[in-house]
Amino acid sequence: MAKAMTKLDAQVLPLSFTLNGRLQELDVEPHELLLDVVRERLGLTGAKRSCDVQVCGACTLLVDGRPVSACTTLAFEVRGRSVLTIEGLAEKDGKLHPLQEAFIEHGGFQCGFCTPGMILAAKALLDENPAPSEAELKHFMHGNICRCTGYKKIIESIMAAAKKMRSGS
Amino acid sequence: MLRRFRLEEPESVAEASELLARLGESAKVYAGGTELLLAMKEGLIQYERLINVKKLKGLSEVAALDGMIKIGALCTHHELEKSSLVQQKLPSLHKLEQNVANVRVRQSGTLGGNLCFAEPHADPGTLLMALGAKLVAEKSSGTREIAAEDFFVDAYETSLQADELLTEIRIPDPTDHSRSAYLKFGYLERPSVGVALAFNLNGGGLSEVKIAVGCAGPAPRRVPEAEALLNGKGREEAERNLAQAGAVAGKASQAITDLHGSQDYKEHIVGVLLKRAFQSAVS
Amino acid sequence: MEFKKEVEILVPREKVWNFIWDVDRFIACVPGCKEAKTIEAGKKYSATMVEKVGPFKVEFPTSIDVLEREELTHIKAQASGADNKIGSRMKVDLDVNLREHADGKTMLGFVATVDILGKLAALGHGIIKRKADQVLDEFAQAVKKRLEGEG
Repeated sequence: MAKAMTKLDAQVLPLSFTLNGRLQELDVEPHELLLDVVRERLGLTGAKRSCDVQVCGACTLLVDGRPVSACTTLAFEVRGRSVLTIEGLAEKDGKLHPLQEAFIEHGGFQCGFCTPGMILAAKALLDENPAPSEAELKHFMHGNICRCTGYKKIIESIMAAAKKMRSGS
Repeated sequence: MLRRFRLEEPESVAEASELLARLGESAKVYAGGTELLLAMKEGLIQYERLINVKKLKGLSEVAALDGMIKIGALCTHHELEKSSLVQQKLPSLHKLEQNVANVRVRQSGTLGGNLCFAEPHADPGTLLMALGAKLVAEKSSGTREIAAEDFFVDAYETSLQADELLTEIRIPDPTDHSRSAYLKFGYLERPSVGVALAFNLNGGGLSEVKIAVGCAGPAPRRVPEAEALLNGKGREEAERNLAQAGAVAGKASQAITDLHGSQDYKEHIVGVLLKRAFQSAVS
Repeated sequence: MEFKKEVEILVPREKVWNFIWDVDRFIACVPGCKEAKTIEAGKKYSATMVEKVGPFKVEFPTSIDVLEREELTHIKAQASGADNKIGSRMKVDLDVNLREHADGKTMLGFVATVDILGKLAALGHGIIKRKADQVLDEFAQAVKKRLEGEG
């Protein structure tokens, strides 16, 4: 016979991690999701809750340089790690990352809803593979969905950024 | 928002197993959480406690040992994708892992978690059956090996006991004659049909043929009746029998008409994938 | 989802008919059905449907209404329930037919139209279909066994 769920006391987990290059310390409960902590508690709303089932990529954040679905990641999992959100991509003086510049120059976004996730995923791709083929790019970006652009401009933007980054500019 | 739960972080398999034994249905093993957290977010299941097994040591290695490739249950799909050992020795598994879901699920999701959640529309179980894999189940009082084809009982149900943890996946070392392929098909987010084929190709003849179908039915399964049509046959004869083997495998897939397609369609796709898997395996 | 089941029972039609209206014995044949109550004999009943698929469990408090009734031949009923914990609703339209064969055998046939709405439906259509089919199969066999066993 299953026990009735008792009302559980809050379990506090101290969370210490690097967020966009700066040390962040706060207490979280085990059930808090990374997306909610980043958006609601830390005010960084670039990452979006869209499908909520890890399929669309609008909530993509980079943890230790690797893309995760913040909507389905428990916040405590980033303890001791480094997290990058779209807000942390440009340099401190406001100079945009080549990916951001490329998306603007090549029209890689329309409504912009998927864009933070797109750009972060693309960054992870290029960090792993600075000269991806179009097939490799499509495979990596397969989990980031855009309803506006039809993807062609996104691919062009990422390829252009890759070229620029390889030439060291 | 998830309902509140307590986090347990055992440091050994024995400790984790004891927790499971003590807490029963109110607790669940939590690794990558890529399936578990989704179900919890939807409110379909609730747990008072999640047992984080990611602190357990030695469960994230890939090694070639004792004539086997041993894969730790906590290896993520991404780690398997990047493993040169998997790439060299188990190319069909490498390709499968490279194509699980999307890059974010591959980053967090573990092979062990995928197998234990036993979601019907999953890939690895089907291929592991065809590769003759053995799954190692551990609890505080001992260890046992479960053949992959005996691991999946039904949708979301494995033959693991309540206090057992899956710790390792063991695949027999392939030889120069080993051939295998896994193909899947789907247009929804998860695959609708998956077919795995493995055999030894020796002097133009097939032996040790294994065929498994997954995704279409509640759990992946081997299809011995289809295997018999190819096993011990020369390559040409096996190729002639492919259509029939595909039809038999299709019927055995336990496909039903649902959002993933009609029963007829899925059964047909099983046959198509088997044919293509054969071409891929012999090339 | 529509399911058609037919089972041959080796007892006369009257016995099958009476069995159907004997709520407690009848409910015992429905897998996962508990706590059956008669609210208005012949017209309205209630029960709780509990089904489990792997770790997922649903509990539907169900109300059953008899819509049509033709002595010894035909029953039309509707069952509906909601599992608020999961946010899903269930509705079953049931058409039951009894046909007498010669030499005291009865053909019990039913058509069940099952609709599951809400979260459960979107996430597990195939699973639900398989489970519903399984439940109805088990039910048909249980009725047959029960009646034939009682002689």
